[in-house]
Amino acid sequence: MSFHIPCPNCGARAIEEFVYGEIVVVPDSITDPDERNLDRAFIHGNPEGPTSERWFHAMGCQRWLTLRRDTRDEQIILTAR
Amino acid sequence: MNEFIERNVRLSWHAAKRSYEVVIVGGGGHGLATAYYLATRHGITDVAVLERKYIGAGNTGRNTTVIRANYGIPEAVRFYQRSLDLYASLEEETGRGITHRQKGLLWLAHSETGIRAERARAELNTAFGAGTEYVGPDEIKKICPQLDMAGGGVWPILGASYHPGGATARHDRVVWTYAEGAMQRGVHIHQRTAVTGLIMDGDRVTGVETAAGPISAGAVVSAVGGHVTALASMAGLRLPIRTHPLQAFVTNRYGLGFDPIVSSSNLLFYASQTAKGEMLLGAEIDRQPSYSYRSGHHFLQSCGHRAMTLLPFLRNLRVLRQWTGVCDMSPDYSPVMGKTGVGGFYITTGWGTWGFKAIPVGGEQMAELIATGETPDLIAPFSLDRFARDRTMADRGSAGTH
Amino acid sequence: MPELKLFHGTRIVATPAALDTAVWPQDALALRLAPDEVFVTPAITADIVDDQHAIVAPDAGFAGAWIVPDEALEFLQRSCEWELPLERPAFAQGAVAGLPVKLWLEDDRVLFLVPAPYATDLEERMA
Repeated sequence: MSFHIPCPNCGARAIEEFVYGEIVVVPDSITDPDERNLDRAFIHGNPEGPTSERWFHAMGCQRWLTLRRDTRDEQIILTAR
Repeated sequence: MNEFIERNVRLSWHAAKRSYEVVIVGGGGHGLATAYYLATRHGITDVAVLERKYIGAGNTGRNTTVIRANYGIPEAVRFYQRSLDLYASLEEETGRGITHRQKGLLWLAHSETGIRAERARAELNTAFGAGTEYVGPDEIKKICPQLDMAGGGVWPILGASYHPGGATARHDRVVWTYAEGAMQRGVHIHQRTAVTGLIMDGDRVTGVETAAGPISAGAVVSAVGGHVTALASMAGLRLPIRTHPLQAFVTNRYGLGFDPIVSSSNLLFYASQTAKGEMLLGAEIDRQPSYSYRSGHHFLQSCGHRAMTLLPFLRNLRVLRQWTGVCDMSPDYSPVMGKTGVGGFYITTGWGTWGFKAIPVGGEQMAELIATGETPDLIAPFSLDRFARDRTMADRGSAGTH
Repeated sequence: MPELKLFHGTRIVATPAALDTAVWPQDALALRLAPDEVFVTPAITADIVDDQHAIVAPDAGFAGAWIVPDEALEFLQRSCEWELPLERPAFAQGAVAGLPVKLWLEDDRVLFLVPAPYATDLEERMA
């Protein structure tokens, strides 16, 4: 799916200009260190709804931005540097 | 199409009972095949398949129907070869046509590294029972005359692995063949019945909550595509699954016979011709996790551009339609099947871009697991706990696109 | 279409405030690639930026060419999918013909810059 990301430095651009970066979140409820490592390496919250992630504007300013996006409909809720 | 088949196969639909021996969540290929093999191989017919939309509405109806076994690790080669064999005999077994066509699959190499990879694939496939051979440019040209062997001057075709067993089948026929076979033996299929929760008794799953009320079950199987993370979380499980969109498109009809399935790891696309003559093209998943079915222009542009590099005749065709499915990707690009550690709850997921070809074997093996309580050898390597045991089944090079 | 040539310059990474207040030489073009990064061409030697931690390094990584506006806009119209700034002069960057292009738009000319390895690709796609 193609959508536009409003880059705070360059303006709105198609996602194909960006590289996706995951923000890994291990829930606090997991306390065992081995379990936390396992979760960090392989497990994913895979949320259906708003999620935070990083995108690198490879074709433009070459800076990372933080995006809040709804995975159900690709609606962009918020961007920040 | 579905209505047409429904009218012609004369199925009897029942109201949901309050209790079943086995409840399968998800009426896609894997769920229906599991029900079919439970009924035909194990005589277990007190089974319900619950589908929130209509059967085959998810990825089973959205994939590009490639059937092949030329994978890169022994466990996967054996597993998919079993599926290839089951597909080949499915029409005979059920008396239903699935327009199964054995086409052969060419996996192209454009570099020295690519040649090594395809030679290795051929050797490994042969050793583990899937017929694959390495072929040079002359043979490639014979198998698929439409290929530009110079690759537009950028991606020359230097060699390929050829997998004669590569095939395609019509996906909605597969869905209805399994559905019909299961229903005729007493399995209930409930469409438009969304599962809203799992009923737990201590740390055991004993049934499901649905919009139509609770249903108790001796065993609950998640054969859900796309929304499996949400379902598994109701049983307290966190899954190694990320859901990504995957797009595909077909062109208008192309007269000349385009016989094989053609695939390129470097250019990340694959092409085949449908029974109607349309050229069917697909590529790799979108990078960002998403549940959105929306399609985009950029995919057409980039996939089309890459495909035309090797298949110049595509330039003269038009895009007829484009669609998106959502793929449950596992970290090692292999499926996740079997017991979950939660009593009464089984899972078949992580079907990423390799789900359609595994429908028969996935159903057969899950049915055996549920019927016997023992994990069959063929799927033991793909268990959910393999990540904790540091036994990942890494095969991205064979599973990245189709 | 003109041949793309290497643009020698100076790449400076410093605090945004220091870059905001810096005064560049009259004959230099300063392209603000990001809030904390600027590419100045031709190269400068003087210590202009008021940031003791600034990174100042010579940079010959871009290739580019000046193009007359009519030609430039005609090319951009078919190869650029995002909105160009209307004011002049203006800096803009993003995908043009599938390449990471930086643009400096003046009233009577437009500068196209790409990372040097893409120079032949851009030449081909502009032709």
